Amino acid sequence: MTRHCPSSFDEAMLSGYLDGELTQSDDQRVRIHLEDCDHCREVYRRLENLREATMTTQFIKEPDRQWDERPRGAASRVGFTLGWVVAIVWLILTCGYAGWQIWVDTDGWFEKTLIFGGLAAVGLLFSSVVIDRLRTAGSDPYRKVEK
Amino acid sequence: MGVSTAVTLTERPPVALAIEGDIHAREDLARECHRQAFLFALHLTRRHDEAADVAQDAMLRFFASIDRFDPERPVRPWLLRIVRNLVRDRARRARVRRTTPLEAEAGEAVIDPPSCEPDPEAAAERVQLQRLVWRCLEVLSSEQREVLVLRDYHGLSYAEIADTVGIPRGTVMSRLHRARCVLSEEANRRLLMRNSGGDR
Repeated sequence: MTRHCPSSFDEAMLSGYLDGELTQSDDQRVRIHLEDCDHCREVYRRLENLREATMTTQFIKEPDRQWDERPRGAASRVGFTLGWVVAIVWLILTCGYAGWQIWVDTDGWFEKTLIFGGLAAVGLLFSSVVIDRLRTAGSDPYRKVEK
Repeated sequence: MGVSTAVTLTERPPVALAIEGDIHAREDLARECHRQAFLFALHLTRRHDEAADVAQDAMLRFFASIDRFDPERPVRPWLLRIVRNLVRDRARRARVRRTTPLEAEAGEAVIDPPSCEPDPEAAAERVQLQRLVWRCLEVLSSEQREVLVLRDYHGLSYAEIADTVGIPRGTVMSRLHRARCVLSEEANRRLLMRNSGGDR
């Protein structure tokens, strides 16, 4: 059997015919051609078997629990951002005010160094953790999901 | 328990309701779309874990832009286009990182045999053929696999496939036909090899 239809028939139309996607005139053309052409009849039969196998295939079902999260809504996003802004402003103001009070109330340079040295160390450690978290959040594909 | 890929996505009403903010419609739509997205991702990537990740990302993108979606249009081409783009992005990133993908999962892992059939022997033969065809999908190019999966496993019309993939309808037909011929030849070749004892 030859690998292609001996006539100038466009074999792609066999798939269109099989899927019922041709116009009425093309549909009729293919039907008439199939009556005359052994090669195309054989191709059509193989395509039909293949399609029967694929279209009846049943696949495993992903459990519903896979979609137990929902995207963060607009109100939630605004609340989340606003909450962070307010919390950061409050933290800066409170820490600034507390630092200023400690600075004013402490007399000696030695005491000031002890207190502010410790606070600076804690502050640096905290900020390094925050920076790492922010970097991770930037590349987290699930950041828009409410857990 | 299995699910047929011929499941039709109930399209307009849930989308319109979901856009209006109906929580139940949104959840129903999410469940339905997630199933479609997961299956399509599974067909393209052929890996269960990767398909689950892609489906999750697709759902995020889907719902992030659902408010701008025209409910008059069908949902499925839009959803499946998101999945397709995500799979392509991942494949591109994998190439850049020079990672070697693990082998595709065998048909046994993803194909669910029907639970009750009047003729068990015929059913077993059919499942065997379905698994063989599934394994043969690897010989198709990604473009051919896309159109074949969309048509034969998801039941999309040529117009919907054209919309999803972004190619003319005539190209869908010729690409699909080429894919089917390649797949049929490969399945026959493997069957012959198996029957002659050259393959498992």
